[in-house]
Amino acid sequence: MTTGLCGRFFWLGLAAALPAPLAAQSASGSAQGDVSLTIYNNDLALVQDKRQITLQKGTNRQEFPDVSAVIRPETVTLASGDAGIVEQNFDYDLLSPEKLLDKAVGQTVTLVRTNPATGVETREQATVLANNGGTIVRIGDRIEVLESYGARILFSGLPPSLRARPTLSITLNAANAGPRPVTLSYLSSGFGWKADYVALFDEAAGKMDLQGWITLTNNTGTSFPNARVLLVAGSPGQDNNQYGGGRRAIQRQIDFVPGTQSANRERLGDFYVYPIAARTTVANAQQKQVSFLDVAGAPASKGYYFRNGWLGASDEAQSFATVLKLSTAKDSGVGDALPAGTVRVYMRDARGQPQFIGEKGIDHTPMGSTLSLKTGEAFDVKVQPTVQSREKITADEWERTGRWRVTVNGKTDDVTVERQKVYWRTTMTYKVTNARPSPVKVELVQAGLDNWWSDTRVPAESVKGTQRTLDERAWTLDVPANGETTLTVQFDTRY
Amino acid sequence: MLLPAAPLAAADEPTVVSAGPEAVGVTIYRAPDRSADTAMNLGWLEGYALITETRTVDIPAGAATIRFEGVAGGMLPESALVTGLPSGVREKNLDADLLSARNLYARAYGRPVILRRHSGKTGKGTVTEERAVIRSGPDGAAIVQTKSGFEIADCGRGIADTLVYTELPEGLSAKPTLSVRTTSTAPQRATIRLSYLAWGFDWQTNYVVRLNPASGKADMMAWVTLASSDPTSFVDAGAAVVGGKLDREDAREYGGRQDGDLVLHCYLRPRVPPPAVVPPPPPAPAPVMMAMESADIIVTAQRRSNTMQAAPVTVIEEGLGDLKLYRVPMPTTVAANAQKQVAMHDLKGVKFKTWHTADLWDSTDENATIKLRTRNRKEDGLGIALPGGPVAVFEPLGADLLLVGQGGMRDYAVDEDVEVMLGVSPQVHVEVTETASARDWTDYEAKVTNANPWPVTFEGTMRLNDGEKLERPSTRLTRKFGRPTWTISVPANGEATLRYRVTDPD
Repeated sequence: MTTGLCGRFFWLGLAAALPAPLAAQSASGSAQGDVSLTIYNNDLALVQDKRQITLQKGTNRQEFPDVSAVIRPETVTLASGDAGIVEQNFDYDLLSPEKLLDKAVGQTVTLVRTNPATGVETREQATVLANNGGTIVRIGDRIEVLESYGARILFSGLPPSLRARPTLSITLNAANAGPRPVTLSYLSSGFGWKADYVALFDEAAGKMDLQGWITLTNNTGTSFPNARVLLVAGSPGQDNNQYGGGRRAIQRQIDFVPGTQSANRERLGDFYVYPIAARTTVANAQQKQVSFLDVAGAPASKGYYFRNGWLGASDEAQSFATVLKLSTAKDSGVGDALPAGTVRVYMRDARGQPQFIGEKGIDHTPMGSTLSLKTGEAFDVKVQPTVQSREKITADEWERTGRWRVTVNGKTDDVTVERQKVYWRTTMTYKVTNARPSPVKVELVQAGLDNWWSDTRVPAESVKGTQRTLDERAWTLDVPANGETTLTVQFDTRY
Repeated sequence: MLLPAAPLAAADEPTVVSAGPEAVGVTIYRAPDRSADTAMNLGWLEGYALITETRTVDIPAGAATIRFEGVAGGMLPESALVTGLPSGVREKNLDADLLSARNLYARAYGRPVILRRHSGKTGKGTVTEERAVIRSGPDGAAIVQTKSGFEIADCGRGIADTLVYTELPEGLSAKPTLSVRTTSTAPQRATIRLSYLAWGFDWQTNYVVRLNPASGKADMMAWVTLASSDPTSFVDAGAAVVGGKLDREDAREYGGRQDGDLVLHCYLRPRVPPPAVVPPPPPAPAPVMMAMESADIIVTAQRRSNTMQAAPVTVIEEGLGDLKLYRVPMPTTVAANAQKQVAMHDLKGVKFKTWHTADLWDSTDENATIKLRTRNRKEDGLGIALPGGPVAVFEPLGADLLLVGQGGMRDYAVDEDVEVMLGVSPQVHVEVTETASARDWTDYEAKVTNANPWPVTFEGTMRLNDGEKLERPSTRLTRKFGRPTWTISVPANGEATLRYRVTDPD
């Protein structure tokens, strides 16, 4: 079968002498037009790309190269003025040797064999009969299974449906011929942003300098030169059911009071919007940071916090958490809403050089909130909780456990059964030590006091505590410099 | 230097390269999850460092991009801070689109390259070059268009193909590169400070204790061991380490880092499957670890003998918030993939006491644990913050010093009771047996036997279940951490016994 080069397979004719670069656009410049990126927190971005295209009158098939490689093709819309959309295609049948051979079934290829002894090349035409776990060809009147390294195959063209990379194409029906602007919009994954904060804390002055940076990442496989960028502090819809980072951040915070003030920033629905002032290039595999917040001398303070679990005791003293307390309120703090991210805290060492002392993640935080960020554990401020005794006591009170109506010999009576309440009396001591040369104030919390009984009492405590919730009781203790203080508490519980 | 133009700089924006720092400070933080007595794994350091660099750059008037070279390989770019620029930083960029085989291929799509073909036998044969155009993406095989048609590169008997590129694509850098964009009204020379966190560092304190059993006193030497697995060396750095525990958000993996490999394979399956290649057995990791641990011991032991000659240079402690900062007093080089030791404390006459301890459950039958105890105060020869770390204990035997125990201790603040767990004694044994019982009580006898030719101090801690009470002990017991505790001196080659009753209220 030597029919020569014919058939639909050979749409891509051979260049006469030398193949010229066939890419539609110059490979250095991008085919993108005027690009705006709106980037959300949850691996999502809206790309709007205003391009100039030239259409013929009638039906046109228009390819859109240089879109994000992780485009969500079902979200593509094209605003094209007078040209109506016939169909949109996203072709991801990628060109590979296996596919090339599959599509060559029934076609004629050239086999090149080299004589290993002499190095002489011979060429012959062959028809590909099948490609099922091995390539079967007919050469003249022989049938052969091509073996690895047996022969080189020369194809005379590439099948039109196979592409080197996923390609978006749109078929348009234009009323008039000529160039026109169109706007291509689509959602893409591969983008993300978060905030990174730098807090320089001055403990002596009780103040803090806070800088905020927006950190933007592009892992789409595509660069977007000279784009307008808008960042939205929020995760629209998409991952409500997922293990969201924001929720976790709030729980990890010790004491979070959400604020009720509005920041002086652009808004989009319930979300704050952070535009990047000038056009910028968002390159592939790039992490970009732009400043959005710079506050000097905001009030901040340090605290110590320890939460003990029920019957928590240890043979070793445990460190208190070091907590940085700050407010995002207008008149007594940072005065802005803080998008979710990581706060890195620095303090100056004896030589005045900032040193890192810990970091903490925060969720999207409205203006007016109070934040308590645990940055680390105190080396010198420790607590040793001890269960001193635990015994069963019977209270002088009785609980009703049942009530029945009993009829004996026609006479009806109400009978109530009562039982004496049994309590466990637990005596805990908490020895708090301070090896710092200055006195400290610490906050100690005992948790696990409820256990669904709602019947826990504190008959004695050496320092008056506050019942925060049914589950938690808190004490504020003053510990002298290089000294210690011991808190003794009795708990009566039903368990 | 093979560096393409800065990928971000607009055509009219000049790029200034800052090749390296003039002065650098390295503050090393411990691995957040490594316990105090676990040795560092030099092959996988999980701590981090704050690097503070001072650099001088000449800034042109107008907008400019400053590229920073010679930064730590493990840099966390989101933590980078640049101060000292006349009008601040417009934006910071970390470009990680690397010049790799894969990227080179991907960027050459649709562009002419040179296909160099070696045909014939290895060593002989001929080499030909022809122009070709890449027609496929970088996954799998290379489909190229040559003047005779479309073919798959490097696929055919007796040929070996290489793709030769004629130009470097724009926007690829040799390694992840940090750059900032700034503006200046006039050209000027600026001294800027660049600081960032970087992974791949760690440090610990190593304690060497020389016990004198006769006097009950010990010489204690503490060493700061700091290590870097970073590819960048920091020469003449102001080095410091920070003790205490910091909270970290794990940011080690920043996603989407693409693989730079380009694997092109042939497409025709061989008829006969190739013989399965049996991979060589992986080297057993255990001997390596052993070698490393013993190497540690040798190092510290040698250092110890050095101290006999002159007092070593020691690090200087200062408070940093609620952490402890230890500064190396002289400039030092934190070299790439290296470990360094500087003395922290050189203490004489520390009063250590050896204890044999055990927890007494209802069926304990075990050897006692040896612990060294002291109190972290001046009267006992201490009274300084002690960051946790491994402890090696030596005792004299004739003229030699022998290793008698290895353990670890956690962070101890001043005035805390210090305890170093050394190991288990094969000579001191504890057994608890039940001697009688009724519905709501059980009688026990605890017996400690000592096979040493000297007396030992034993401490047994009663472990009772919730609600249980200990009654009628045959000797008076003290209470420690809320538990009844039996302290007794067990005579040489002798034994000691305690009888007690445990009652259960239910």
